[in-house]
Amino acid sequence: MNNKGMSEIVKGIARIVFPFILLYGLSLILYGHITPGGGFSGGVVLTGGFVLLLLAFGKDYVFRILPVDIAKALDSAGALGFLAIALLGFLCGSFFYNLLPKGYIFHLWSAGTIILSNIMIGLKIASGLFVAIAVLSMARLIHTKEGIKYKQSRKTEEDQ
Amino acid sequence: MIVYILVALMFFTGLYGIIAKKNIIKIIVGINIVGYASNLLFILLGYKWEGIAPILTEDIPINYFVEKAVDPLPQALVLTSIVIDLAFVAFLAALAIRLFERYGTFDMDKIRRLKG
Amino acid sequence: MSHLIILPVAIYLGAAFLIALLYKKDEKLSGAAAISFVFLSVITSIISGIDVFTNGKILYFAGGWERPLGIVLMLDPLSSIFLIMTNIIAFFVMLYSTVYMEKYTWAPYFYTIFMIMLAGMNGILISMDIFNIYVFFEVASIASFILVAFGLRAEELEASMKYTVMSFIASTMILFAIALIYGFTGTLNIPAFMSEASGLSPVHLWFIAGLFLSGFALKTALVPFHTWLPDAHSMAPAPISAILSGMFIKVVGLYVLIRITTNIFIVLPQIRILLLLFGVLSMVFGGLMAYGQKNIKRLYAYSTISQVGYCAVGLGIGGYLGSLGVLMHFIAHAFSKTLLFLNIGAIEYIKGTTEVEQLQGLNDSMPATTLFGSTGMLGIAGVPPMGNFWSKLIIIIAAVKAGYTGIAVLCIIVAIITLGYFLKLQRTVYYKKVENPVKKEAPKMLLFPMGALALLVFISGILLVPGIKEKTLDKAVSVMENFSYMDIKIGENR
Repeated sequence: MNNKGMSEIVKGIARIVFPFILLYGLSLILYGHITPGGGFSGGVVLTGGFVLLLLAFGKDYVFRILPVDIAKALDSAGALGFLAIALLGFLCGSFFYNLLPKGYIFHLWSAGTIILSNIMIGLKIASGLFVAIAVLSMARLIHTKEGIKYKQSRKTEEDQ
Repeated sequence: MIVYILVALMFFTGLYGIIAKKNIIKIIVGINIVGYASNLLFILLGYKWEGIAPILTEDIPINYFVEKAVDPLPQALVLTSIVIDLAFVAFLAALAIRLFERYGTFDMDKIRRLKG
Repeated sequence: MSHLIILPVAIYLGAAFLIALLYKKDEKLSGAAAISFVFLSVITSIISGIDVFTNGKILYFAGGWERPLGIVLMLDPLSSIFLIMTNIIAFFVMLYSTVYMEKYTWAPYFYTIFMIMLAGMNGILISMDIFNIYVFFEVASIASFILVAFGLRAEELEASMKYTVMSFIASTMILFAIALIYGFTGTLNIPAFMSEASGLSPVHLWFIAGLFLSGFALKTALVPFHTWLPDAHSMAPAPISAILSGMFIKVVGLYVLIRITTNIFIVLPQIRILLLLFGVLSMVFGGLMAYGQKNIKRLYAYSTISQVGYCAVGLGIGGYLGSLGVLMHFIAHAFSKTLLFLNIGAIEYIKGTTEVEQLQGLNDSMPATTLFGSTGMLGIAGVPPMGNFWSKLIIIIAAVKAGYTGIAVLCIIVAIITLGYFLKLQRTVYYKKVENPVKKEAPKMLLFPMGALALLVFISGILLVPGIKEKTLDKAVSVMENFSYMDIKIGENR
């Protein structure tokens, strides 16, 4: 595992920076309803953290932390959760109706269902974008004598 | 006025990339530029010069806020449009990889089995 | 009861992600789940359609925000006809694809993306807000690019590439137009824009209308913008071709064009002349190009261009007869073109090819497929008992009454060309005598949707019978003729 990926310096920096990227993404998601940010931008930042790991350590390492199958399931779960929040509005009369108490302005728990929606969107975007980039990263170009060949590897353990 | 001309310039740069370039990756970059140009136009239409961010805090008087704050709706709409552009670009990148697998090239002139 | 109008979108979105989450390994179960969700949506759309046709339009305020602030959803007779048609055709296509998609891997993902496309199409139909229409339009479009490339053969990928790049240009035009509308009027709600539109200068109006028209004409594949359609619709898997040709371009293109010409740019009636021009061009060009095609799916794709041209001509002529012709032609063509694409899919399933030269004398080996296929061909060609004959007749009469005699003559000539190429195709592919045929019919699950659609093609003219016409089509035509929702009171649901 150690001989894969980039140099030791990049790996060290990535190991230090990764938690902070996740933290920033989470704060963008959780404070999306009172400051600029929100589910989409926070989710993209979360994905950015995993993409950094993917570039620095190689695919095997990242797929051990976050397997693609689990990311796919989280993607669907995020979408379904968002739909469920929307459908909950039927209880109070309308699709997407904001039925939770609104709370105090500028507090974390304010704006009712918006924060839940942001969390669901963040989950969906982070895992969906991660799956997209992971699938793109499975493509390999192999330089041979006849020219450049293409190879798609779904099993990551094989391409040692 | 000059910003609108710059947006138009950006748009036509991207359009040139889509129409004149033969490499799929360059076409994708052109698509990105065109998408940014249209988003920028949308943002500019809702912008006020020397405006403030549309966040109403307790220490801003409401009249000042109404007069100075930029229109937040185009920004919300542009966020949606950015997501759509992202979907386009991600799909085209996947498609470009698959096309390379089948044809062995990124050149649109050589990817030409369909005609008539 | 008014919650029913949001349900088609919610059901399809929920179905898409439920299938992706639960049934991603099991092809049979995912197919069954997909069919049941589409059936549920058919029922809801028919119930809400009956409500709309008896009591008038339904308004729905998403999130409880009233009209000047929030997003308004609306179901009126026009969109209700499109909604019911979309769901019915999606149901038959879904029944068909449970068997047809067995030879592809990753069938559950097929159902997921198909459901997302249907959610987008249904969303366009219930939106009353221009940006909402744009978002659902993109959802449906991106799903359709993926579906065109689903087989991953070289030609499919190439077709999808062309289609995607062309569609991106269309959606950029539409986004520019939306941005300009918001910049000039400060609203994106269709009735609110209608009341503001008369205050705009004609140059601005023409610029916005031109951007909209070229964007959506590209999605409808009217002729100067048609280049992607023959590739995309001939290369996709058969059920996808069927729904793209039969319903998708009509919802994404024609329906929005109807809204634009008759509802949004009501102050600019001259844009109908542009539509008339595009319609005549695509009618003639599609008909002529279809004549020389060697591949049957490609021939059907060009025939779609030609037949959608008829719809655009009817829309360009306008008036009561023109609008009635558009709606009737859309319904008849949706049934018959879906039938034809499903039919060629069944032939491909058994014989493995779609080239005219290799397919001859199918009547002896596949009699039921032949029967349904020739019904669909005669339907599109406009042989009297079928719906297409009446719709073409109405459009021709409308053209003569409005003073466009030349266009009426062109319509008749193109109808004869259409009959010509379909009869030629029928004679070689279906009824040519071959020696010692091997009798091998398509599976029953492929035959049943075709049979039902053939029946619908045969009886679709029933919508024009007096008594039924007043209750259904006339109400939708009145939406196209005098759209007057500016008087909607705040807090009112009807």
